[in-house]
Amino acid sequence: MLSSLLFIPLLGSLLVVLLPDSRKNVYKWITLVACSLELLVCGAIYAAFDPTQADYQLLERFDWISLPLGSLGVVSIDYLVGIDGISLPLVLLTGAVMLVGALSSWTIDKRLKAYHALYLLLTATIIGCFIALDFFLFFLFFEFMLLPMYFLIGLWGGPRREYASIKFFLYTLAGSVLILLVMISLYLSVMDPVETAINIGLIGDRSEITDDIIRQVQFLLADYKIQSQQLVHTFDLRYMAHGGNYLPDSFLGPTGEIIVFGLPSRMLAFLCVFLGFAIKLPVVPFHTWLPDAHVEAPTPVSVVLAGVLLKIGGYGFLRIGWGLFPDGAAEYALLLAGLGVISIVYGGFNALAQSDLKKMIAYSSVSHMGFVLLGIASLTSEGVNGAVYQMASHGVLSAMLFLLTGVLYDRTHDRRIDSYRGLASTMPAYTALTAIAFFASLGLPGFSGFVGELFTLMGSFQSLWLPGWMTAVATLGIILAAAYFLWTLQRMFFGPLWSRTEFTGQLTDLTARERLMLIPLAVLALLLGLFPNLLFNLSNATIAQWIQRFSVE
Amino acid sequence: MFDENTIHTLLWLLIVLPFLSGTLSLLAGRRINLWAGGTAAVLTLAGLGLSVFVATQTGPDVLTLRTDWLLIPGRAVPITFRLDALTLLMLVIVHFIALLVQIYSISYLHDERDRYRYFGFLSLFIGSMLGIVLAGNLIVLYAFWELVGLSSYLLIGFWFQKPAAAAAAKKAFIMNRIGDAGFLLGIFLLLFQSGTTDLAELPDLFVSNGPLATLTGFCLFCGCIGKSAQFPLTTWLPDAMEGPTPVSALIHAATMVAAGIFLLARIHFLLTPDALLLITIVGTITMLMAAYSALYQTDIKKVLAYSTVSQLGLMVIGMGTSNVTGALFHLTTHAFFKAGLFLAAGSVIHGVHSQDMRQMGGLRKAMPLTFIGWAVCAAALAGVPFFSGFLSKETILTGAFDWAGAQGGLAYVIPILAVLSSGLTACYMARQGRLVFFGDARNPENRAHESDRLLTVPVLMLAVLSIGFVFAGNPFSAAQGWFFRLFPAVDNHGGHLWIALLSISVVAVGLWLGWRMPVLTQSTAMSRLSEHNWYLDGFYKRLLVRPFVRLAYLSYGFDRRVIDKLVDFAGIGTVVLAHMIGWADRMIVDGLVNGASWLTHRLGNLTRSVQNGRVQSYIASAVVGLLVILWFLI
Repeated sequence: MLSSLLFIPLLGSLLVVLLPDSRKNVYKWITLVACSLELLVCGAIYAAFDPTQADYQLLERFDWISLPLGSLGVVSIDYLVGIDGISLPLVLLTGAVMLVGALSSWTIDKRLKAYHALYLLLTATIIGCFIALDFFLFFLFFEFMLLPMYFLIGLWGGPRREYASIKFFLYTLAGSVLILLVMISLYLSVMDPVETAINIGLIGDRSEITDDIIRQVQFLLADYKIQSQQLVHTFDLRYMAHGGNYLPDSFLGPTGEIIVFGLPSRMLAFLCVFLGFAIKLPVVPFHTWLPDAHVEAPTPVSVVLAGVLLKIGGYGFLRIGWGLFPDGAAEYALLLAGLGVISIVYGGFNALAQSDLKKMIAYSSVSHMGFVLLGIASLTSEGVNGAVYQMASHGVLSAMLFLLTGVLYDRTHDRRIDSYRGLASTMPAYTALTAIAFFASLGLPGFSGFVGELFTLMGSFQSLWLPGWMTAVATLGIILAAAYFLWTLQRMFFGPLWSRTEFTGQLTDLTARERLMLIPLAVLALLLGLFPNLLFNLSNATIAQWIQRFSVE
Repeated sequence: MFDENTIHTLLWLLIVLPFLSGTLSLLAGRRINLWAGGTAAVLTLAGLGLSVFVATQTGPDVLTLRTDWLLIPGRAVPITFRLDALTLLMLVIVHFIALLVQIYSISYLHDERDRYRYFGFLSLFIGSMLGIVLAGNLIVLYAFWELVGLSSYLLIGFWFQKPAAAAAAKKAFIMNRIGDAGFLLGIFLLLFQSGTTDLAELPDLFVSNGPLATLTGFCLFCGCIGKSAQFPLTTWLPDAMEGPTPVSALIHAATMVAAGIFLLARIHFLLTPDALLLITIVGTITMLMAAYSALYQTDIKKVLAYSTVSQLGLMVIGMGTSNVTGALFHLTTHAFFKAGLFLAAGSVIHGVHSQDMRQMGGLRKAMPLTFIGWAVCAAALAGVPFFSGFLSKETILTGAFDWAGAQGGLAYVIPILAVLSSGLTACYMARQGRLVFFGDARNPENRAHESDRLLTVPVLMLAVLSIGFVFAGNPFSAAQGWFFRLFPAVDNHGGHLWIALLSISVVAVGLWLGWRMPVLTQSTAMSRLSEHNWYLDGFYKRLLVRPFVRLAYLSYGFDRRVIDKLVDFAGIGTVVLAHMIGWADRMIVDGLVNGASWLTHRLGNLTRSVQNGRVQSYIASAVVGLLVILWFLI
């Protein structure tokens, strides 16, 4: 079932490529249908998911590459997908946001074939990131995502699109190099207990595997009783998360005392992974690609970028950074939370200084994603649950905010805040939805933003790793959010109606298609805010197990 | 007696109904303009009936209602509601005043094009306010607290075309947010220390002792500072008068701003003596400063706004001196007479189409009913005997003197300043009466006429409720009245005759001075200080807002010029490095390859030149070679 999430958009993309140009008004329908199907499958997955289970579910696995390398052991790369309580909310979010983005793509009017093919490709790679459980597969999607994104910004973007797209590309690439290094080191340090058991003749077939056998293999490994030719190395994230599967004395072995650049190797590896995903989240000071990318990207791409792409950063923290290196996470909790707080406050201040609506929202994203980092770094149940929740909530709300910006931009091609005044008089429905999105984003109870901020802050305050004043500084973020959102609301929407003269007559209220995109998002934000257990029920069991590795004995 | 389930359903209904009616009204749009007010009022009436009914059905026990809202491992945040005497009191006050205000608004806003929006927002407000008073734990209370802030924002900015209204709305929300951030931290501190914010569990789990407990109390009080406009977050409330006058009566006088006092009553048991002292001091500063600011205002609503701030300060003093019942009593009486004053002011504004008191005068003849209503409420506010305000103010002052007696020494400053402020109260109310209702009409163009019944009846009803006998048979002490039977005071502050005499004489002097204040006061340093509210706004603008905004621009400049430049520099640096490597590649690596081929070529030439085909040179070489070998051998 999970694989269909990958193949629906890929097939759609192929179909767009194969259809002749004369059929170009079909493309958007293909995208829309593919994304709707995708959301339907997401719904089915939601129904099939058992929230009481902490482990990965709906696993699908095929041997992909298996290559004996003599004394270097056996290379094994699997096609392995599955979900748990951390990835499911993000998969659902992706389904919803990509569909809204598809609807929003209807205003794209040039190079339709390329656009829609790339958009569907992007959908597949993003979903791929969230469901891949083999590090190699994950990395493949993670890298491949850059390609459609690069072209989507670079070809359909605003005036400085080349600069923005190349900046985005290089920034993220720099991050992935670090992740790649860690991936290879991990690979060399970890064995696949199942395949190894087969190799050394403990069992004959995968189906015979039991926990006892795995433990036996791990004991053998620890006692140096397995010859290196028989070891099967793996990229499987499930095995990487277990200390017993690490080769003794290996580079990233849990007991290894290898010092690199003055740091223990595992700490260094953790910092590399953190940095790689911190660029994606983004964390200040690695965030400057974001405002540029947002400002230049066309509306649907902004929606996808803020709505789901940034979440891959947070997801990477949870699954790879914190998941594989809990020791590093505990060691650097204070530093990481500090960066989170800096992102919250710094992003908020920058948002306050913007004169471009889209840039203001981009910086507000930086601020809101800071809560995600703060929550994860707190290593508490509240904080991590809150962080996952905040990611979903921000996905919905930022999608809505960028769509709203797009509405105005479509009409006048001007996003400057001071080009408008008193819009409430001529665009009442637009104003109402903007006000809802703004208030939801600034954390009004009843909407989803409140729960995310409440829980991440609560977690950071309860955390044993963090001092209380850190939370106090972070609450400055919620004051700043009120300031920049309400100031914008006051400047653009209230007061007597005024806009630059060339816009007269262009400031019409929302069309049916725009309502169709915005209202479901508003309802979703409200639903999540009123019934947060809808989401927490999904993530609870997994995070409870996840958090155990940080519990202080 | 109904079973508990029925009561639970009724309670849910009580909260959900206003939200539902508000949302429906907003969704329906202008087509229900005609019906919006009436429907909303009927629903509020139903709510009032419901709460009275619930009150009669429940005994003195505390009724709690708990629903799981949010469960994660290690932390559950339930939605709990709590019904006790305090809740019931607030339920009745909120419903009753809201009902009067809605009826009043039907006439007051009959020309308004967006009435559906007005009544929708008003319903949202009622729902959120009910949420606050029913909340059983502080997280739920905080959630509704913020929602109340939203409805206040929406209603202040109801006439959003007016830039001043939009600015005031924003200011109100942000200043409240500042207080709320402290409130939130207080909630976290509570959770940290006792693991719960449930009002029923806290008394057993929270140890009200030590500096951390004081900090907790103070953080929670920050919420009150914001919502009840205490010093230093006072300035949003006078600006909030940009909203429609009925809104000012309901939200910014009677109910929402009193939520801070309500909060203090809820958490009073966990406040340490140090926290209480701080609260008392803040209340005193607020009361005195605001009373003075009200003195020279020319806008009829602004006087009342500052007066509200000042009275809230008095209630905070009551709370700070642990006189919870007294403060709640004043909250109740104040709700009625201040709402009455605002509605009377609205009636005047409706009649003369101006808010400037210098343009009024002599209105008692043109608007007799409004005048009577106003006069009764004003007497209550000023603290004239036989009116409700006198009773409640006396209770607080007595408590404050008793408290000072227990503390001794410097503590007497507090009640003395409070008495002084009450003199100022009498003074500005006498001035307002003189300017608005007495003398001759100063603006002959005004054809003021009495307002219709929808406007005057609510004023008169509130006036009736501002008479002292409503609360107690004894005109000089409410200690035996129904209110104190409902909320038995912890230590009964027996009346002191000298305090009553002192305050009556101070009030009399105040009234006399206020009456004698000239219509057009000369602008002096003293009057400007009052008019500009101690220059707090300018002070904040210069000291906080501008540096804050400048910091924002600075940080953006830093972002662009430093961080982004570094990134660009790294990018450019890479490109330059690439070019340098390219050059090195051409010059050195390629050069080496070329050099090697050149060398080979030369070597080839060299060797070729040896093999030139001449026998003589071959023989010569051979001989030389032979000789060399021989040389080495020998």
